[in-house]
Amino acid sequence: MSRDTGKPAECEPYREDLAEVALGIASGRRRGEVLRHAEHCPSCSAELQRSSDAADALLVLAPDIEPPLGFESRLAGRLQAAEQPRRPDRLRRAGVLALAAVLVAVLGFAMGLVASNHAGTSPSQEARSRPTEAMLSSNGQVVGSVILTAGSPASLIMTIDHGWWSGGVTCEAILTRGRVERIGTFATAGDYSTWGAPLAAPAGQVLGARLVNATGVILASASLRT
Amino acid sequence: MGTGDDGLSDEALLTGIALGDDQAGLLFVRRFQRRLYGLAVSIVGDAGEAEDVAQEAFMRIFRHAQMFDVRRGSVSSWALTITRNLAIDATRIRRGVATDPHDRAFLDLTSTRLAPDSAAIASEAAARARSALADLPVEQRRAVVLATLYGRTAAEIAEAEGIALGTAKSRIRLGLARLRTSLVDEDAR
Repeated sequence: MSRDTGKPAECEPYREDLAEVALGIASGRRRGEVLRHAEHCPSCSAELQRSSDAADALLVLAPDIEPPLGFESRLAGRLQAAEQPRRPDRLRRAGVLALAAVLVAVLGFAMGLVASNHAGTSPSQEARSRPTEAMLSSNGQVVGSVILTAGSPASLIMTIDHGWWSGGVTCEAILTRGRVERIGTFATAGDYSTWGAPLAAPAGQVLGARLVNATGVILASASLRT
Repeated sequence: MGTGDDGLSDEALLTGIALGDDQAGLLFVRRFQRRLYGLAVSIVGDAGEAEDVAQEAFMRIFRHAQMFDVRRGSVSSWALTITRNLAIDATRIRRGVATDPHDRAFLDLTSTRLAPDSAAIASEAAARARSALADLPVEQRRAVVLATLYGRTAAEIAEAEGIALGTAKSRIRLGLARLRTSLVDEDAR
């Protein structure tokens, strides 16, 4: 295969579209054609890179916009869900623990809640992003806490206290009409375990959460509505 | 190099994320979420979809934090580029719902006069970019802003501006070439 040396005549069919390719707005087919040419053309490759750098330099002009309420908690849930399969031996608390704290501190404080009683909530109130916190109990002993965020999707963040349980547990959300949503199986480790995950069910249908062992025995539970 | 009110640089936070530091992750999200979400909204034009894009951008940043190379640019630029690419991919799936090119942010960027409040809070990089943009002929400026910050294709710009496709392509190409000269080539000297 002869190497394209970037002579003007050979580059001419591609020059017009280099900027669009650099900006990522060219069609897939055209993008492929231009990139195949640039791969063997130092001149077009360099121009592509410079155009891309210029476009990147403009991105600082994008407007700052406050994301919707619950953004951080939903992100925490996604980060945790992504980390879980990769490092089952070490529950990564990156984002989750700190963001859970922020969730309680910021949202709870700002909205004057972090309540355990959600009964009688109207649909319009339900639509708002309300974090609800409840104690996780085992045989009358508080062993951790559960936070339910009412975003879209809703997320459940659970924390188990130091030394209460060691090994794998399955977290389930108790829903209305006797339904149960299995959230996932997690390994408790170290001195403190926190994880979170998005829910398929809307927050308004969540009555509580529980931890069960491998044989289905309930180890601890929390009521998110009393 | 970007630095927040906490005195930590963007690069330091990213290093912390790569090392699994919880607090660094939290500070990074809180520092960048408005910028990434704002860019995503500009391009996809829908709040729910913009949130998905911004969250996916953070996921990728966290996942690839250890691969960031400070010699290739700023953390801010890297994060925004990831967001922009994701947003454009999202709009490809759902073409036809275009961001309004007559909104306030767009008009500010394409105006020859700087809004005083915007100018006052602009960072050095933003001020430089804004100045370079202001030096372009207005038709090139509009085309470049629509293509870069709003992810519009040349065909969409041609339709929105009532011009031929070739004209739209030329405006993007010439505008970007001039920006390159003032924003990229000057740095290389």
